[in-house]
Amino acid sequence: MVHALEEIQRLLKPDGCLIDIHPVLEAPLIKVYQGSRVLFVESNPDHDRTEEESRQAEDALAQVVQRGLFIIERNSEFDLPIYGSSVIELRDFRAKIGAFDDSPKDDAVEAQRTALYARVDEIMQAAGDGAEVAYHERARITRMNPNVRKEEPL
Amino acid sequence: MITKVDPENNETLALFDLADFNGQRVLEIGCGDGRLTWRYADKAAHVTAIDAFADGILRAKENISDELKDRVEFSHIAFEDFATASEPSTFDRAILSWSL
Repeated sequence: MVHALEEIQRLLKPDGCLIDIHPVLEAPLIKVYQGSRVLFVESNPDHDRTEEESRQAEDALAQVVQRGLFIIERNSEFDLPIYGSSVIELRDFRAKIGAFDDSPKDDAVEAQRTALYARVDEIMQAAGDGAEVAYHERARITRMNPNVRKEEPL
Repeated sequence: MITKVDPENNETLALFDLADFNGQRVLEIGCGDGRLTWRYADKAAHVTAIDAFADGILRAKENISDELKDRVEFSHIAFEDFATASEPSTFDRAILSWSL
């Protein structure tokens, strides 16, 4: 990760900037809605993996700032929701965009996920028409500028 | 119902709050199927959008509009390989899109 950031600094013009978007440490949520009413909320079962990835990203950014390659200009957080009409649709969509590509096979997590999906499915069926499920992931977005050191006058 | 990603445009609003893309040369790393690329590409002078996973790049290339074809270049390549083959000081903006 740090090497990638070094390379990005090389590819950027001196007055350019890097925008990094990565998930925050808190667990993504699965929510079921009926209109504006929230019927169900629970944390995503494979949060440990997400948390580890987020921590690595934070560490890499901190390292390049500490080494003087970049200066953090500004950051903020936002919620990225993905809505679907069923939990299967949502799962298939996330699989299609590669959400599980890097996940190591973990039977315990898979069992938790299956149980969660079954509960969400039950709640949605009970809620009837108009219910929808959403996967909410919170992300941090950071603007970093290359640290262009001024030459000291001789 | 079709799956909807960020219909409130939270990500786009956060992106535009931090950077101006008008007339800029942009490198997007981890572009996937171009979900984020489509949000800013019409403003940029040129976009190089790369991803190490082939499926997303294929979908992005299928979905590119005629207006953006001259300006947006999707490539299936790992960042390390892309960086090795690239000249320094090329881009005004780099976006690490959920890929660090």
